Amino acid sequence: MNDSVRPLPGDVVPDAIDQPFWDACARRQLLVYRCGRCGRCLWPAGSCPTDGMADMSWVPATGNARLHTWTVIHQQYSRSFTDTPVVVAVVELEEGTLIHTNIKDCAPADLRAGMPLRVGFDTTGPLALPVFAPAGGA
Amino acid sequence: MTPSPDVAIVGLGLSEQGRHLGVSRRELRRRAVDAALADAGLERAAVDGVVMVGSEAVDLRYLGLAPGFAYSLQAGGASPVLAVMAAAGAIATGQAEAVVCLYGEAWTSAPRQLEPNSGPPVEMDIKSVSYGYPFLFGMVGPGSVYALAARRHMELYGTTSQDLGRVAVVERDYAVVRPGAQGYKQPITLDDHQNSRMIVDPLRLLDCSRPTDGGAAVIVTSLARAADLSGSAVRVLGAGTAHGIEGWWDGSMFESMNAARSARRAFGQAGVSASDIDVAQLYAPFTIAVLMQLEDYGFCGRGESGAFVADGQTRLGGTIPTNTGGGQLSGFYATGFTPLSEGILQVRGQAPSSQVPGAGTCLVSGSGGNGGVQGSWAHASLVLGATR
Repeated sequence: MNDSVRPLPGDVVPDAIDQPFWDACARRQLLVYRCGRCGRCLWPAGSCPTDGMADMSWVPATGNARLHTWTVIHQQYSRSFTDTPVVVAVVELEEGTLIHTNIKDCAPADLRAGMPLRVGFDTTGPLALPVFAPAGGA
Repeated sequence: MTPSPDVAIVGLGLSEQGRHLGVSRRELRRRAVDAALADAGLERAAVDGVVMVGSEAVDLRYLGLAPGFAYSLQAGGASPVLAVMAAAGAIATGQAEAVVCLYGEAWTSAPRQLEPNSGPPVEMDIKSVSYGYPFLFGMVGPGSVYALAARRHMELYGTTSQDLGRVAVVERDYAVVRPGAQGYKQPITLDDHQNSRMIVDPLRLLDCSRPTDGGAAVIVTSLARAADLSGSAVRVLGAGTAHGIEGWWDGSMFESMNAARSARRAFGQAGVSASDIDVAQLYAPFTIAVLMQLEDYGFCGRGESGAFVADGQTRLGGTIPTNTGGGQLSGFYATGFTPLSEGILQVRGQAPSSQVPGAGTCLVSGSGGNGGVQGSWAHASLVLGATR
């Protein structure tokens, strides 16, 4: 992987509101943005569709998730992604929100919707990225 | 019953559609507008509203138009259907009598702009192509979104790559007999599909459309005005919308295109049900989009679309002939104007090939990027009706 051209969060969405999330990732902790009124959790930061932004705050997530769906990216769209075909997935966190991520330590043929996953942090790039692997090891 | 749009589409203009045409997009737009005016039998000066698909300003000077209003509308592939609705609104509020809805792009003449951190295009790239944080994980472009939907469909219903491939084969078969289509005289087999390289698993090369250059325009007017024109009018019997962000909140985003909600309004306005629709033109840049919409619109049951297509139900003579010009996969990619233009031709009885005999109603759909999260797209539907 060529780190020099891999995008950083600020390149993608120049929005300081998510900075606590990335700071926590560097400490190997996963956060979600939770509504204090109804308990709905989001990632990235945003307004609760019921209660708006007023009572939203960052709280620790359990790091447990289930696989919702995935794709294996074979096409090389960008010089930024030159490693082995990556598994891009959408997982449902235990807190209820869907998030985009990568799946590690599991052959694509062994992936199944609903399988339990556990968060980890990929620090091979300039940034700690929250990624997921089968819970309890592959 | 909710009020229907009560307007007609009186002119259709299509420029040449193809790869590397070497024609600028504003010239493609001009050709489309002039063709639509000629088709409608409408004088240039009669155009009193312009809605352009895209985010550029409209070059009215180049087009030689003097409308009361002109604006651009950007909701990705849903834009053309939404433009027709906007035109109907302008007519209903007395702001216009004849509105041009237009499009023109030269995708295959434009430089590729997908590299991050490579200079000024970054900002646009990240937002319009890769849609935010998913890019950090290697997700680029709409194909991967449809791939996530395809995999979810496979996991829920046992849908296979062959099921997707049969959609590609059906649309190619329509294109093979359609002069001007990208797939004209170039048939493919299911084996060809299975042997095509993986792009974003489970989508293979032949599950994907290719960008083409081209211009398209339609003219929307009141029913009363349409009756006075020489062109062949098509009625807009019903219209509907639904945004996919709803599916992000409830977890169903990768299981449908949320078209069922859009269909309820459009079918309700038109006073029809799925079984009354004679032909369908679905926005489908990737094969899985056809399967999801066949289910969303109720042409078959949830999870049954693979078998439905395998049984020939989307072919001529089937329950619902679909994307009869080859669609975006094998016809041409003019965003939502691909399905809209073919829908108009079908209900006029003027399709150059694969005309559905006596087609009196056509469903047209549009879907595309505007806001939400990656893949939570706007969806819009029209029910077109013949006036013959």
